[in-house]
Amino acid sequence: MAKPRELRRRIKSVQNTRKITKTMELVATSKLKRAQDRVVTARPYAAALAEVIGDLYSPELAERFPLLRQPKDGSASGRRVALLLITSNRGLCGAFNANLIREARHRIDELEGQGATVGLHIVGKKGITFFRFAKRPIASQRTDIGDKPTAAHAAELVGPLMAQFAAGALDAVDVVFAQFRSAVSTPPTVLRILPIAPPRVSGRSANYILKPSAEAILEQLLPLYVRNQVYRALVETAAAFLGAQRTAMKNATDNAGDIIELLQRTYNRARQAQITQEIAEIVGGAEALKG
Amino acid sequence: MHVTVISPERGVFDGAADAVVAPAFDGQVGILPGHAPFMTLLGKGVLTVRVAGGGDRFEVSGGFLQVVGDAVRIVADQVQTS
Repeated sequence: MAKPRELRRRIKSVQNTRKITKTMELVATSKLKRAQDRVVTARPYAAALAEVIGDLYSPELAERFPLLRQPKDGSASGRRVALLLITSNRGLCGAFNANLIREARHRIDELEGQGATVGLHIVGKKGITFFRFAKRPIASQRTDIGDKPTAAHAAELVGPLMAQFAAGALDAVDVVFAQFRSAVSTPPTVLRILPIAPPRVSGRSANYILKPSAEAILEQLLPLYVRNQVYRALVETAAAFLGAQRTAMKNATDNAGDIIELLQRTYNRARQAQITQEIAEIVGGAEALKG
Repeated sequence: MHVTVISPERGVFDGAADAVVAPAFDGQVGILPGHAPFMTLLGKGVLTVRVAGGGDRFEVSGGFLQVVGDAVRIVADQVQTS
């Protein structure tokens, strides 16, 4: 049986670990609340943009916009696809990043299986570390987007990709991110952002006075729409990360509690055994003196 | 009339107003209640939402302005309260 002193040291150590995980859980919870707000407040803009583009969109107009150009039929071989993978910079969030990376690898395999070439663009240290370890070339990487992504971040990320797509140097752009359904449901998701899938037409086509013209408006709004999709992916992933971290830290705290309970019981028994033994020795000694 | 000003990050203004003066791509436009359905691109400049006894000013750039019925919607790419 372990020595009581040894056990006491281990109890102390697990208690300290629990203190840390508990604190991290609380920090993640409070950050999550704000991140969740950002997800919610970003919705009206996305909805408004999608609605207007849906109103203005018509198949005839689509031919003229590079961003709406659908791939020509036929084999996908020789196509160039950019994959934007969004992960977190920090760990201690369970399988969160592993799930995202797996989803990205599936997607890469799928695309390459069809004969496409895939350029990999990664946000977040965790994804970068993995693909560097896997010795896969990374086209671009960023680690400076933290818990609070802004629309400007999204613009910087997707701007070059949009330009390449419009110039015909890319045939499609996919984003892999964590969809934020709730704090505990954050499935990794693949979203094709380019070419733009026209939003569903609402059918309600008011007789607008359009200035300068439907085409000019569409031309201005399409890039905003793409940028907004990336912004939403960033915001949702940030919120999902905090949700996953909170869950992971809660589990760690609970587990630490279990371990402490077990160690405490073992320690008590060892202490009791020692006392019993000492009494037995004293009694034995006294008996011997009586002799 | 009901006015909403929306930026990519959040809704900036949501409420009743008497008039809106917005920087359209080709100059200022003023919207009063009862305006015909209208949509225009925004340029860069100061957006004023007038409410009885005051109002709010925002610096906006990019995006669009839409008037449907009695609702005015300003969806701007960048918004700063000024």
